[in-house]
Amino acid sequence: MITVTNLTKCFGAQTAVDRLSFEIPAGQIVGFLGPNGAGKSTTLKMLTGMIEPTSGAATIAGFDLLKDPVEVKRHVGFVPDSGAVFESLTGLEYLEMVAALYGIPAHAAQARIKQFITFFDLSFETLTDKLLGAYSKGMRRKVVITSALLHNPPVVFFDEPLDGLDANAAVGFKTLIQTLAREGKTIVYSSHILDVVERVCHRIIIIDKGRLLLDGKPDELVASHQSGTLEKLFTQLTGGGELERRAEDFAKTFRA
Amino acid sequence: MNAPPLLPEKVPTPEQTLRRLFLTLFLRGRSSRGLKKSHAPTSIGNKLALTLIFYALFGCMAFMFTGQPVFVLSAYLSGMTFAFLGMFVAASAGEILFNKEEADILMHRPVTPKVLLWSKIRVLVEVSLWLGGAFNLVGVAVGGFSKSGDWRYPLVHAISVVMEALFCTGGVVLVYQLCLRWFGRERLDGLMTTMQVLVAIGAMAGSQILPRIMFRVGNSLTLDESTWWLTLLPPAWFAGLDDAVAGTGQTRSWQFAALAFGMTALVLWLAFGRLANSYATGLRSLNESVSPSRKEAGRRRWLSALVQMPPLSWWLREPVSRASFLLTAAYMLRDRDVKLRLYPGLAPMLVMPFVFMLQGVGGQGAGGLAGFGIAISGAYLGMAPLMGLNLLQYSQQWQAADIFRCAPMAGPAPLCHGARRAVLLILTLPLALVFGGVALLIRHNLSELFLLLPGLVALPVYALIPSRLGRSVPLSVPTEEAKSAGRGLWMMLAMFTSMGLGGLALVAQHKGWFWWFLLAETAVAAVVYTVMRRTLDRLRWTPAE
Repeated sequence: MITVTNLTKCFGAQTAVDRLSFEIPAGQIVGFLGPNGAGKSTTLKMLTGMIEPTSGAATIAGFDLLKDPVEVKRHVGFVPDSGAVFESLTGLEYLEMVAALYGIPAHAAQARIKQFITFFDLSFETLTDKLLGAYSKGMRRKVVITSALLHNPPVVFFDEPLDGLDANAAVGFKTLIQTLAREGKTIVYSSHILDVVERVCHRIIIIDKGRLLLDGKPDELVASHQSGTLEKLFTQLTGGGELERRAEDFAKTFRA
Repeated sequence: MNAPPLLPEKVPTPEQTLRRLFLTLFLRGRSSRGLKKSHAPTSIGNKLALTLIFYALFGCMAFMFTGQPVFVLSAYLSGMTFAFLGMFVAASAGEILFNKEEADILMHRPVTPKVLLWSKIRVLVEVSLWLGGAFNLVGVAVGGFSKSGDWRYPLVHAISVVMEALFCTGGVVLVYQLCLRWFGRERLDGLMTTMQVLVAIGAMAGSQILPRIMFRVGNSLTLDESTWWLTLLPPAWFAGLDDAVAGTGQTRSWQFAALAFGMTALVLWLAFGRLANSYATGLRSLNESVSPSRKEAGRRRWLSALVQMPPLSWWLREPVSRASFLLTAAYMLRDRDVKLRLYPGLAPMLVMPFVFMLQGVGGQGAGGLAGFGIAISGAYLGMAPLMGLNLLQYSQQWQAADIFRCAPMAGPAPLCHGARRAVLLILTLPLALVFGGVALLIRHNLSELFLLLPGLVALPVYALIPSRLGRSVPLSVPTEEAKSAGRGLWMMLAMFTSMGLGGLALVAQHKGWFWWFLLAETAVAAVVYTVMRRTLDRLRWTPAE
């Protein structure tokens, strides 16, 4: 469903993503991990057509990212980490606007929106009366997730989707993406909450400094590196090995 | 999750959806803090309605051109329309064309950059037409009764206004695209902010100066070789179109009309056809986070270095005031949102003294309009920190100001002092030099500069007023609140006070007791300043909402 070949992005002299290659079949949930500044968001933005790759190629749902970006966009859903929305629209106005951009008729969009608000435990009045600027962070995140799934895309990219969601919504969301994957959707899940990734994802890809470090099933990778947990494997691979000692040293600087 | 049912329901096109979206966003504002839709920030919508009424009223000045030739009336109307539309498009284009947050919302949707650009342009042109239409309403009627005008005037002038709206919008978009192509995304923000500020100031200056020039020129204006310079002024092209169809119909007017059509078509072709790809590149680059170069970062450190050196290090001994000074100065010099509010916000005030001074060129002695211009320049210098601090309290990052309340400070006084000093150094001092320089250039008389003194003496008091009103904690108030009508009232009050002070100084100078007046003013200012300063230092934080 997703094929990435030597995907590269340079910002001036700085290489953010360096010849990244991988393939993801339909129905798989892939955890896309890396430390801050590793190139995760840049990769996701390239795969959703938001920024142009410097070199390399990618096909999504059979469409070439460079030749047919609008078709790619029609077949992907994206939840960006910023969670940005137009704050002066109501939730319903926002979702109807998004639906119209995908050519979904208002009647069908409303029916779909009602399914989502039932799932996310939002009231229809909140959606119609309140402006998004007045929503809590979690409520806003629910609207952004809804807007990414509204057109029933075969591929969905999530960048820190649980940010702001309460525990119940987070549990519901995890079940939702597992169900979506079983129905054949491809899900790329970028997050720093590693225990959730470990539990939910079929496969993980770890990148650092724009390069692919590891690609495989979480339990197999943990076992082969004898790290015990994904968290330990991650810190081991991305240079966080001395974190505990550094934290202790830093804490000591606070002594009077 | 099933696919949405296919119903024979009409779905709006992406163009229609986006046009509706951008118009809603324009009318409601981009961010909202209201709780309910009924409490939506309608301030911009209301403000727009009030602006339209104001423009329509301002357009009544066209009555003064009754009986003037069509070209003169149209040159005035077109010039003013250009000024207003230029100001509006320049101020709005940045936020509408390249909105960073919008990239995360729309750039991964199945919409092409061209559709996005067109939807935005349509909204800009639509609102421009409302503004232009409101201003030209009276002018259109007056044109029918003007010297050499006839019934065709309303029709042809309406066409001119539409073309002017297209020309202004296309021009601004073209400048954006050229800057993007020549200087790249990294420098675009800075360049465009400067450009927008200059256009807004220029438009404001033009709107003050143009009517006076047109009144002065009036019937004596001829369209021949002696007025070749008119060819360089876009408003003259559109005035030529009006004159060609509904006025004298002379050859020169037809030449201007051809220029109006040709240049509008050229600008539109370049902006929306030839360079439309630059827009797509610009939109994509909004998602690219480029770290500043070392050279650029080094340039930003000059301010920190400056406050470490005398005399600033003496003036900013107190660390909180120094930090507040640096924060305020950084936003005044770097933040696009603050710059676009601050400098154009001050422009109307700053233009007035020049207008008076220019009008009085050639007059004798320190009296008359030129003298009044110098006197109110001084008073305006006092107003600059007052208005500047008032505008600097607003920021898009206002929530970050919570740190002020978390810090161990009993009240906002040190922050206010730092902000005030930044405004005095970065805004008022250069302004004083410019006013003094212009006064000297126009009057060639150093001794007349003493008329600036009453304003300068009042300056420390004026600069403390915002602090006393709790309005000078820098960057601590949401930008939505900057749209309140109260600010216009402040501006008016500031202008009347300045004129009052300037007038008093001039009367005192005429009566021969100027120095006594200055002495009395200094004494009063010293007492008021001391009291205000002490009260400010004792001021405590008000409870946060």
